[in-house]
Amino acid sequence: MAEYEEQESLLDGARDETGRRLYSAGENRGMSALCDPSRLAHRLVVLLIMCFLGFGSYFCYDNPAALQTQVQQDMKVNTATFMQLYAWYSWPNVILCFFGGFLIDRVFGIRLGTIIFSLFVCTGQVIFATGALCNAFWLMEAGRFVFGIGGESLAVAQNTYAVSWFKGKELNLVFGLQLSMSRVGSTVNMNIMGWIYSRIASMIGAAGPKTLGISLMIGAVTCVFSLACALIIGYLDKRAEKILNKEKGKTGDVIKLSDVKDFSLSLWLIFLICVCYYVAIFPFIGLGKVFFMGKFQLSSEEASAINSIVYIISAPLSPVFGFLVDKFGKNVIWVLCAVAATLAAHVMLAYTFWTPWLAMSLMGISYSLLACALWPMVAFVVPEHQLGTAYGFMQSIQNLGLGIIAIAAGAIMDSRGYLFLEVFFIACLCGSLIAVVMLYFVDSMTGGDLNLSATKRNKLQRLTAIEKEI
Amino acid sequence: MWFVRRLLFLLLQVSLCWGGSEPYRREVHLDAVSGPNSSVSNLLHVRAVGYSDTIHYVWGTLGAPTVLLVYSNSSKSTLNVNWTKLFSPFPSGAVRIEPAESILYSTAIAFTKIFEYDDSNNTANFSGAPESAFYPAYNLADFVWGDVSKTLNTTALSAEFQGVNASDPAKHFQNGSVSFRVSAYKEGSRDLLPPHLLYTANCSKVEFVMAEVAPRGKKSRFVLEMVTLEKKNGQKRTDSVWSIDDEYTPTIFEMAQLISDVQNHSRAQGFLQWKAVAYGDPSSSRAEAVPCRYHQLHNVSETWPLPDLAVAFFGEDVREHYNVEALNVSFGVADGEFYEKHNYLIWSAVLGFGTPPRDSFSTLVIAIMAVALGMPAVLLIVGFITMCILKKKRYSEYEPIN
Repeated sequence: MAEYEEQESLLDGARDETGRRLYSAGENRGMSALCDPSRLAHRLVVLLIMCFLGFGSYFCYDNPAALQTQVQQDMKVNTATFMQLYAWYSWPNVILCFFGGFLIDRVFGIRLGTIIFSLFVCTGQVIFATGALCNAFWLMEAGRFVFGIGGESLAVAQNTYAVSWFKGKELNLVFGLQLSMSRVGSTVNMNIMGWIYSRIASMIGAAGPKTLGISLMIGAVTCVFSLACALIIGYLDKRAEKILNKEKGKTGDVIKLSDVKDFSLSLWLIFLICVCYYVAIFPFIGLGKVFFMGKFQLSSEEASAINSIVYIISAPLSPVFGFLVDKFGKNVIWVLCAVAATLAAHVMLAYTFWTPWLAMSLMGISYSLLACALWPMVAFVVPEHQLGTAYGFMQSIQNLGLGIIAIAAGAIMDSRGYLFLEVFFIACLCGSLIAVVMLYFVDSMTGGDLNLSATKRNKLQRLTAIEKEI
Repeated sequence: MWFVRRLLFLLLQVSLCWGGSEPYRREVHLDAVSGPNSSVSNLLHVRAVGYSDTIHYVWGTLGAPTVLLVYSNSSKSTLNVNWTKLFSPFPSGAVRIEPAESILYSTAIAFTKIFEYDDSNNTANFSGAPESAFYPAYNLADFVWGDVSKTLNTTALSAEFQGVNASDPAKHFQNGSVSFRVSAYKEGSRDLLPPHLLYTANCSKVEFVMAEVAPRGKKSRFVLEMVTLEKKNGQKRTDSVWSIDDEYTPTIFEMAQLISDVQNHSRAQGFLQWKAVAYGDPSSSRAEAVPCRYHQLHNVSETWPLPDLAVAFFGEDVREHYNVEALNVSFGVADGEFYEKHNYLIWSAVLGFGTPPRDSFSTLVIAIMAVALGMPAVLLIVGFITMCILKKKRYSEYEPIN
């Protein structure tokens, strides 16, 4: 769910051609600054709406994690079945990640596409809630599937809008803010859903599928809100296009499946790092709340708060790490540190009774670091015209991994308990670590520039530029 | 680094365990002791004979269900019951383990009452519940218990005491009953059903089961009261062992135990040990786990009527020599399911002598950790060496240019 932002910002960076003027500025028709698409004030309004565009889907994505005990109790399902809710979200994205950009570019157009994806998100969440209301778990799963169809593609659409409105201006800041906003959505969800549930339980007098259904329906309000944002931004975009003769925003993804056979060993290693790493983060967060309550004897509220700390930390840290990695280069080392730190966090959670705040904060920090260092590496090992395919593929196997591991994690937890689950996650991270180490050697033996420092990288770039001129 | 050290230490331990001597075994006899009038005799004698000692567990339902735990340093010690005396108003001395001087330690645990209270707020706060929330407690001494000899299984080494309330006007026990299932063990292993308790040849197991007993309210929770004896020079205490290892009992990290406080780590000390969990259905699946909590021991020496079996073994003046303490174990946690869901509750505990068993990491966990952490390290070393060699080669190839 989370990673499209980094990828898009990179895509943009890689393709940022000579500062094309997108706006025919200077045509002041006497509009107030707020209504004039060429003015900063108006763009800020658009930015606000853009940020809220993804709020609903991020809020609802982690609804199951926030209400794990309630879902399991009310729907009478074990953990493995519960984790299906996450798996069903991932399945459509195994395929859709390839086509999200294509659908927006060629089929629907950005405006209609955004509205359609928002509708999917909304409908999905409503079906999800209805499933709870009718006490039908299969309907909840169906809801998550529909929600998944919209969710990830909506993130692509959101980024496309960002590129279209802010290219050559405040783009990196905008991506940063969008990323932060999505984290805010997840965090708010983690901390508020339990409270909503208990209020509704006391209002209707008993906890049960009905309570769960109503709570999730309230969650769906955020999706409706996001849908409204999609409509407004669609209108504003159309208006701006008319006034400014603005170019259409494009995702820039040209997916060619045949490119896959040309992928280098380094790229496959990067994929491996990605899958092995993220499966130890997201499914863990999905199961985390009950773990903290069971092992560390924490209250439900505190457990939720700890569970959301990874997201809270990554909101402000992502831009900082992005800047640092840009400045120093040496991506492989950063990734190595991030994986090792996450490994340490999991070891702490598994083998000690130390306060989980420590381990989860460490995980939050390393998670942000990894996102900033790993995703840009793809651009160094893939020719520019294959970038879209590479990223689509990466997202796709990430989703495949998440779907499978989500179910496996639930089953392990039911039959073998948390220690074993943690050991399993540790093993996954070690797989990731092995891939990083191999990547380091492969890269240094083939003389790749993954692990160059930023200054060397710049020199190299200048050299190639000079060579070209000659 | 500390982790690696710990891992190595564990590996060492495991290899030592494997390489060590054969697991300790006992010869176990399980008998229903029949008296002159077999319908009410209901005594179960478990005798676990070792090389030079014997553990006796004497279960009976004369009064509340009670188990006597007797450790004797003779492998020839026997149980002697004087039935006429036992049923007389002064049963003192009716139950004896002979020779008496071989007894190194003896204690008793009686399961005396079942409390039921209405937890309308679903807070599972038993000790803080108001007086008015409690229904009249079931006094297990007033129950009618089925004949244990009919449930005796000498191959599986198990037996069951099944009881219903003697006076049951509201028909709560129409289809249901309360039972205590006893199992004995010849050698150490782990229980097949959750909570997968670990046991040794010095242990036996008791399962407390409430099946189909109708609760008196929709939000009823139950509490089991036990009374335990300990010689006045020592004291019983409760203890929680927190473990990071929940492999055998998923999500339960607490092991509770009732042990004797005497600073004497001999085999001759009784304990009761249980995981902080009960189950709400017969299959004991994790989904139906009902966490349980124990409450502080409190001294009841003065007030409590002791079960006849305890008096018969320890004598009329037992209160002068022994501390009598009561322990409550309450079932259910805040926001948890109520008993009413399945009308079923099963709680198991291990009874035994010596140091209570402790869980350790399973071999699988250790193996996975070793491989998972070892691989990257090995790879790093091998990779560096290969790289150095390759680089050297490359340089030497370039040399001839000059």
